[in-house]
Amino acid sequence: MAERLDLLDPADVARLGGIEIVAEGIVEGFLAGLHRSPFRGFSVEFTEHRAYQPGDELRYLDWRILGRSDRLFVKQFEEETNLRSMILVDASRSMAWQGAPERLTKRAYADRLAAALALILLRQRDATGLVTFDEQVRQVIPARVKAGQWSRIVRGLLETPDGEGTAAHAALQRLTALLTRRGMVVLLSDLLFDRELALAALRYLRHRGHQVIVFHLMDPAEVELSGPPEVRFKDPESALSVVVRPRELARAYADTVRREIAAWRKACRRHGIAYHHVQTDMPFGLALRLLT
Amino acid sequence: MSFIHPLALLGLAAAAIPALLHLLHRRIPPEIDFPPVRYLSVAERESARRLKLRHLLLLIFRTALIVAIVLAAARPLVPLRGGGAHQPTAAVIILDNSPSSGAIVDGGLVLDRLRVAARASVGRTTSADRVWLMLSDGVLRGGSREALLATIDSTRTGWQRLDLVQAVERAARMVNAQPLPGRELHVLSDLQGTALASGHAEVPSGVRVLALAPGRAVANRGIAAVTVSEGAAVIELSGSVVGAAGAPQPVPVTIRIGGGRPNRGEITARGLATPGNDRPGGATRSAVSVSLPAQSLAPGWWVGEAALEPDELRADDRRPFAWRVAPPARVMATSSAGSFVAAALAVLQDGKRIVDGRDVVISGGETPAGSHAIVQPPADPALVGQANRALASRGVPWRWGQLATPGVLTSSELTVLNGVPVVRRYRIEGAGSGEQGAGVLATVNGEPWLVRSGSVVLLGSRLDTAWTALPAAPGFVPFVDALVNRIVMGEAEVAAAEGAPRVEFRMRGADTVGATVFGPDPRESDLTPATPAVVTAALGGKDRAVALNADRFAAERFSGTRRADASGLLLVLALLLAAAELGVATRTR
Repeated sequence: MAERLDLLDPADVARLGGIEIVAEGIVEGFLAGLHRSPFRGFSVEFTEHRAYQPGDELRYLDWRILGRSDRLFVKQFEEETNLRSMILVDASRSMAWQGAPERLTKRAYADRLAAALALILLRQRDATGLVTFDEQVRQVIPARVKAGQWSRIVRGLLETPDGEGTAAHAALQRLTALLTRRGMVVLLSDLLFDRELALAALRYLRHRGHQVIVFHLMDPAEVELSGPPEVRFKDPESALSVVVRPRELARAYADTVRREIAAWRKACRRHGIAYHHVQTDMPFGLALRLLT
Repeated sequence: MSFIHPLALLGLAAAAIPALLHLLHRRIPPEIDFPPVRYLSVAERESARRLKLRHLLLLIFRTALIVAIVLAAARPLVPLRGGGAHQPTAAVIILDNSPSSGAIVDGGLVLDRLRVAARASVGRTTSADRVWLMLSDGVLRGGSREALLATIDSTRTGWQRLDLVQAVERAARMVNAQPLPGRELHVLSDLQGTALASGHAEVPSGVRVLALAPGRAVANRGIAAVTVSEGAAVIELSGSVVGAAGAPQPVPVTIRIGGGRPNRGEITARGLATPGNDRPGGATRSAVSVSLPAQSLAPGWWVGEAALEPDELRADDRRPFAWRVAPPARVMATSSAGSFVAAALAVLQDGKRIVDGRDVVISGGETPAGSHAIVQPPADPALVGQANRALASRGVPWRWGQLATPGVLTSSELTVLNGVPVVRRYRIEGAGSGEQGAGVLATVNGEPWLVRSGSVVLLGSRLDTAWTALPAAPGFVPFVDALVNRIVMGEAEVAAAEGAPRVEFRMRGADTVGATVFGPDPRESDLTPATPAVVTAALGGKDRAVALNADRFAAERFSGTRRADASGLLLVLALLLAAAELGVATRTR
């Protein structure tokens, strides 16, 4: 039996090839495990039919067409066909960090997850776009559903270099001007920026009617502190550094991280934002499943 | 504290290792990129106090652990209180067997109590110790433990007073000269206040003075001295009256005369002395005169004994005394001596107290004649200069000066003179030899009135009622009697000495020329114990001397040198420290 790539270790999957191959493999595996489309539109107003694809929910099958023509079609609704998804990928310097050589960097993980997510959305004929940002907005690929859109998105990911510091709220505020039509906004970031300012931008998007989903990416080494007996930890995005003994600070650090995650989750829930904490050793399929 | 392996203490330098490691380790931390430094900062800020405390505790525990291990390796010897063997000690046991130790307190002899403590002290010694025993004679007795115990057992109440201050000083010098680790003095005494009154003992550093606290204080009275004068015995009493609130009680005194001297027979007289509270601390000192019977005035040496009723201290209840009654003097008075003198001599001659002769000449300013002379100032002031020259030619260092102010006679030797007014007198002045003070027998207004120089007695006034009221006083004849028989002829010396009560006569050829009366020192009668503060101050100061009750004394003796190896304790401490360090290092992560 062929292995499902979406459930394998992300680093192992990444070694299979380029981002397109990996993303397609992930999506194939992911959709094979699902019996319905992961995303639905907001409306139930029927507009047209389209060919059934694995993963579509059976309840949307048009049984009459199946009876007449023995072909599988699903019904599409007005809003579903017009779902506009923008995937926001944090390309700041902190995302280019990995806690161990055998793991993916947060950025590599985010790129592959974004590519897979875009492929799923485009296969559903949802207009999907991409924005990469660090302190500035680096790449903007408007949401389209036409052929070649996924390749453009993948190219956009590949062509965005690792940035410098993260000023996400500024980039997010600029994005609000770009996202004029309501849709879904998926943010892939390690969220190492000022929470209140970032939340203000996300709240604005939510206020504009967007469905906002946040993937909080963390390397496992960022969750459980470890290292030499005494070490100077330095923030790659700033001059901030601190000398600690990981063994004696591990518990307090873990508590702090748990509190931070809980604070993000609580703040997002309060504002109707979906929040998901994802570690870079989590199989892509499980991360995608968080969206269903 | 001392150490068996003191060189191991060099390892204490290792106590700095934890601190040095801490400092050195902090200087070279590797640098690692770590994006969520902000979380670390928060965690560190929140844990800063806990971590500081942890670091401090760990540093303390680790340093203390090394110190404990190093000290254990050095094998420290720590002083012990009670139990355990002591290090070699030089000790002097001062056993006070002075007369006061013969007092009966609570039904027992004080000396018995002291002997028990002394035996216990000797019993605690080992063959490595050097021990001496000092009794009230001040002699340091060395020897084996058995010999010292035998000496203690055979010790009886003596007659010599013990000055504890001097005894302690001497004993302290002795033990301080010994090359032994411990030096102790055990003072076993009734700690009379009078035995500590001579000052403060100089005790070298390192010498411990342990004094056994005295028992209950008891009242006592004793005979301090007995003197015979003018036909009366003066008995001086001393002692302590404890708890004697209220009026002083009369003290019966018995005098027995003639005992121990052949051909004298025995004469007994009784009198009452009324002690007065004239000394601080409840001690009394008073005197009573008992007239002696006429038989005892016969010429020759007399021996007597004064006795009090028995009390807690028997040693001072009896005291012998001796005196000499001279044979009748051969006296002649010149015409210038005056009628009062002539009348007095006549009375004395009738009473067979004097006989005619020229051994003693009483004159009124003329040149002294005869072997013994009693000279009055001349009636004519113009002759004073001539009389002074005559005195000078005879080698008398006194001369008459100007007429002086009237006054009242005062004399300690001739009590009959006390209080007699003198209206006219010459000031008797020294002639410059510088020996005059010793011969003054009576004074007026503090100035000499009656002086003696060799065989010449000089008066400041004529024995006439125009000069003094003495010729009209009842004591005039006894005065003249004393003057011719005793003062001018010279008195046989009766000395007092410390020892078993007895009288010893000094002989020159076949003649008895003096006597020595032995008895206990009067200060022994005062049984009032010194306060602990006084004991401590007198025996070396509070850092070296201490007065302890019997139990404490037993616990403290030789405790200054009791030592135990504390390495085991230190190893246990090291284990505890290691456990504590482990606990802090693991539980606070």
